[in-house]
Amino acid sequence: MLGKLLKHEWKAVWKIPVLLIGILMAAAVMAGMTFHLPIWDSEWVGLPLSGVMLLLTFYVAIIAVSLGITIYFAVRYYKNMFTDEGYLTNTLPVTSHQLLLSKAITMAAWNLITALAIGASIAVFVGMIVLAFIEPGDGRTIAEAFVEAMDTEFWDSPYMQEFGSFCVSMAVMFLANAISGTMVMIASITIGQMVRRHRILGAIGAYFGINTIIQIISTVIIFPFMIYNFDNARIETPFPLMSVMYLIMAAVSVIIGVGLYFLSEYLIRRQLELE
Amino acid sequence: MSELVYVNNLTKVYEKKKMALDHMNLVIPRGKIIGLLGPNGSGKTTLIKLISGLLVPTEGEILINGKLPGPESKACVSYLPERTYFQGGMKVRELIAFFSDFYGDFQPERARQMLANLNISEDARLKTLSKGTKEKVQLIMVMSRQAQLYILDEPIAGVDPAARDYILRTIISNYNENATVLISTHLITDIEKVLDEVIFIRDGRIMLQDTVEHIRESRGKSVDMFFREVFAC
Repeated sequence: MLGKLLKHEWKAVWKIPVLLIGILMAAAVMAGMTFHLPIWDSEWVGLPLSGVMLLLTFYVAIIAVSLGITIYFAVRYYKNMFTDEGYLTNTLPVTSHQLLLSKAITMAAWNLITALAIGASIAVFVGMIVLAFIEPGDGRTIAEAFVEAMDTEFWDSPYMQEFGSFCVSMAVMFLANAISGTMVMIASITIGQMVRRHRILGAIGAYFGINTIIQIISTVIIFPFMIYNFDNARIETPFPLMSVMYLIMAAVSVIIGVGLYFLSEYLIRRQLELE
Repeated sequence: MSELVYVNNLTKVYEKKKMALDHMNLVIPRGKIIGLLGPNGSGKTTLIKLISGLLVPTEGEILINGKLPGPESKACVSYLPERTYFQGGMKVRELIAFFSDFYGDFQPERARQMLANLNISEDARLKTLSKGTKEKVQLIMVMSRQAQLYILDEPIAGVDPAARDYILRTIISNYNENATVLISTHLITDIEKVLDEVIFIRDGRIMLQDTVEHIRESRGKSVDMFFREVFAC
């Protein structure tokens, strides 16, 4: 049944995030294209300000798309589980674990896809700016010089020791945050349902409450670690310390995500009360 | 086991101590069309939601086919709520696929036949249909299952008399002889002719459970008249 739930959940939700990501990509291309206009070769005094405005607009587009997708999934979960649509969702012959997993997996997957799409849009935007300011034919020379500089100045530098493991730990934290972020959203909305007369307000309150608790837990765990390790850290490179710190933060995120999952499942199974 | 639903000492208290069901005991047999009748706020919908697994009892238990409300009971209960509960963006065709995927007892051909009889296109999106047509689509989906218990909450409220006749015909002609249909309604006159039994409910308690035939014989009046007498304000 989990497979069927995932199939129908995916079919029901894919259009809006794809549309928003499509808009972001189009915005990246259009913003990047403006740097190819002849005006950038002029002496106009407003050019620096225009460049900053363009960067800001693209930044706002990223935030809007990221927030839009998050809000879409929050509303979708609330409507599908706790409003009129919940009369169908909650009478399906499936367990509360299957129901919750189908929502959480889909939401976490879209969190990841959105983050990757944002990364891709930034790459497109920056790439187009770079192309705008190099002469035709110089691309290859610049790329070769860049690779050589990386080889001699970057990778062999003592500063870059354990950069690879740092990247891995950052990727692990990225994944862990996609899971815990999803579960914070799901748990907030589910806890909000316990405030029967003000369910949405309850969900918003729960969201801030959970995030505050997460901040406190993270600080309590990370702070002593940082104090201890800064005293003993190798000064030539920060990456080993940061790798361990990211892995600890990822572990905290996963533990919190799992805890919130079981709390949400319990509330759906034992405290469900549709209006 | 002749009983389909067994309700024992069932109590539901909402917030602010509002008791919707008060230590209710009830047995619903198989193979009957039963009217669940009572004034507003008597606990009809709460009982239905508890049987459907949309609420959790404060006290007591419900057994459906010997099982507590859960995936197994939901697989044999076909529930029509009093509201429009399908996603508006779905096409009728997608709805059929959805029901086929989740309910092993769903008969898509029967659903298609009933939709065709009403000239409802499978390509129509639910949000483009009128309220009455949406309600008919919901009823068709619910009655196209070979369930053991059909729970219909106010299935004829808010529809015109012609549609009421269609709905009642659909219910009678589609339910399995061994299944039970539990209908909650205020419009007793319209459904009296199809009922085998009635359950009167007031203040979260069962006042009466009897056959329609016995009420008519012993009281010398229709169920509608008897209901008006019992629940006179």
